[in-house]
Amino acid sequence: MVTDSELQETHGGPPPPILPDLPPGGGGGDSGRPERGSSRSASITGIIVLMCASTMTFAAMVSAMVVRRGLNNDWNTLGLPRILWWNTIALVLSSIAIDLGRRRLRRGNRVVFNWFWSAGALLGSLFLAGQVMAWRELEARGFYLVGHPSTAFFYVLTWAHAAHVVGALAAVLYVEYRALRFQLGPGRRTLVDVSALFWHFLDVLWLGIIGLFAFWA
Amino acid sequence: MEGTAVRALFSTDHRAVARLYFFLSLFAVLMGTVLSLLMRFHLVSPQAQVGWFEALWPAGAPGGVMAPELYLSLMTLHGTIMVFFVLTLAPLSAFGNLVLPEQLGAKEMAFPRLNLLSFWIAAASFAVLMASFLAAGGGPLAGWTAYPPLSAVGAIAGPGEGLGQTLWFFSIGLFCLSSLLTSMNFIATVLDQRGPGMTLMRMPLTCWNWFITAILALLSFSVLLAAAALILLDRLGGTSFFVPAGLLVADETIPHGGGSPLLWQHLFWFFGHPEVYIAILPGMGIVSHLISNFSRKPVFGYGAMVTATISIAFLGMLVWGHHMFISGLSPYSAIAFSLLTMAIGAPSAVKTFNWIATAWGGALRLTTPMLFALGFVSIFVTGGLSGLFLGQPQIDAYFHDTYFVVAHFHLIMGIAALFTIFGGTFYWFPLLFGRMMDERLGRLHFYLTFLGAHAVFLPMHFAGFAGSPRRYPDFTTFEFLGPLMPLQRWITAAAFCLAAVQLIFLWNLFHSIWRGRPAPPNPWEATSLEWSQVEGPVLRGPYEYLEDCISQNQQNPVKG
Repeated sequence: MVTDSELQETHGGPPPPILPDLPPGGGGGDSGRPERGSSRSASITGIIVLMCASTMTFAAMVSAMVVRRGLNNDWNTLGLPRILWWNTIALVLSSIAIDLGRRRLRRGNRVVFNWFWSAGALLGSLFLAGQVMAWRELEARGFYLVGHPSTAFFYVLTWAHAAHVVGALAAVLYVEYRALRFQLGPGRRTLVDVSALFWHFLDVLWLGIIGLFAFWA
Repeated sequence: MEGTAVRALFSTDHRAVARLYFFLSLFAVLMGTVLSLLMRFHLVSPQAQVGWFEALWPAGAPGGVMAPELYLSLMTLHGTIMVFFVLTLAPLSAFGNLVLPEQLGAKEMAFPRLNLLSFWIAAASFAVLMASFLAAGGGPLAGWTAYPPLSAVGAIAGPGEGLGQTLWFFSIGLFCLSSLLTSMNFIATVLDQRGPGMTLMRMPLTCWNWFITAILALLSFSVLLAAAALILLDRLGGTSFFVPAGLLVADETIPHGGGSPLLWQHLFWFFGHPEVYIAILPGMGIVSHLISNFSRKPVFGYGAMVTATISIAFLGMLVWGHHMFISGLSPYSAIAFSLLTMAIGAPSAVKTFNWIATAWGGALRLTTPMLFALGFVSIFVTGGLSGLFLGQPQIDAYFHDTYFVVAHFHLIMGIAALFTIFGGTFYWFPLLFGRMMDERLGRLHFYLTFLGAHAVFLPMHFAGFAGSPRRYPDFTTFEFLGPLMPLQRWITAAAFCLAAVQLIFLWNLFHSIWRGRPAPPNPWEATSLEWSQVEGPVLRGPYEYLEDCISQNQQNPVKG
């Protein structure tokens, strides 16, 4: 494991100082703002609220699918491309890597954090590439967006999820950019925690979507 | 000067953002009013030739005579503008941004830059809506509910169903995004930015109502966003979520197939009914606040008010089916929706009772904001009672497509909410522009508006009883509607008078912005923190009117 002192040897200069841990507090009555911009507790509330909104959007689409399937006996079951399972593994692993990294950063180990976070970002990008391959395979097999709602719902749900992943990946890459400059630390990790939280949410959301299509639709 | 304008348009200060929302809403309400006057004019003289109709809409008014499509397009735009850009933006985004942070003892909203972004997304949404109105092929005419299948198949369904309708859906999608960001900001502000000593149960009722409204908006606009995305895919991507198989439009079989138009109604009204409460709950908070302040008495049953707000919001999420009684809903689910709808009467009655009890025996100060608050209570009861009729499936079967419904929702959602917007404007004008509005003109405006609103909307109930159908551009071609024409002419005359009365308000507003009496620091002797002159932790609840006016965060003066 590389420590900051070894880093100093390899980079030929001292790394930026590690900021101390976040001050305690937050929530009603706390006005201390350790970081520029919005307070840490508000950022975490904000991302949770945003996750509720996304959940409602997906719930609306899934309930539309459930209702539509119940209306008639014309539902076509989709054979899921095998690559989707590899994508699932990549996304779960990326979530694990990102969280391991987040925990290391809290303890002040920025180098290991960077490794884990980069691995998470890479796996996340692999997931997106894999999704594109899955869509192509489905089209090659003759399942298009246009046609019956039973296939259209698959495209819509996976597209909406992928759009979320693109947004989250932008945040993850921004963290990566700042992490590689050693601008983050135990006292400056709100962005890391918020991005990680949303990334896990997308992971769980994906498990729900693939579970739905594998075992129900 | 240029720098000032840029600062005003792109400042992240919550009051600057509030002013932007205020003026966007003001522009929208003027536009919506003009559209309604054009509709009322057309209803009483459908054959009139108006030169500038043709100049504005060459296709919609050939020879200056308004075609039915243009009428429907005016109706669609009127509804969309009023519901989204007036009733949603003014009470929640404009007044909420103006005072929420300070009433909580916070200096700013939780995410100031996001706040500015949501405004500009809302402004873009408004611009796209305007573009839809002028789109080639006619403005959208599917109503603010935009029921498929005709709204989902494109230009083949007739004028206005092409580009205009597509832009309309884009506009709604943008508005959803803006509202989601706003609600996220409001929720985080209330939960995380409260100042020292400001417990949840010490928040003014305005903050409670904005908080609950933000939760409602979050849960419902996210569903409308999904619905808008699906229907745009139907229109642009060729999918069939809402287009049934074998649909015949204009003698052509639509190639889509397998969808369900009812699905849209469920998704739309799952948003649409909470939207009613998104429009009215902030106003209820403002009314509680004003009645308490101008009665110099604590709000009667503060805890009950909070509980009632939460109950209304919760029940409001469960009653969307009462908009679909005549859509072929199973009678069993209609009964369930009907019972839940009736249940909303209970917390609404609690609120009404508490407003009256707050004012009862108080040292009433009948200022303009107070008059509008009391007027709201009256109109809320008037408009609410007709809801008890409509909430029953059997009675709704007759009333659903008549002017009775038009009267109901204009009173309870339009006029009632508008009264709270007027009240809030007079009350918080000093915070917006540092000056006072003229009280005498304000009272005159109130009394005339109160009369005018009843003159317009009470007769509509009778038109509904007589079976006058809504959304029809021309009554003169139906024999059974002939005897109602005098009533329709009365409504139109009253509507023009009511609109003329609003010129008093506009004069008062703009004159006061530049020439109004400079406002003292706490002109209404309020206790909540947006007027507070001192810094320090909050010591008590918001509605404790002592002998002198003492802010929530002010030490009791030492009696000498």
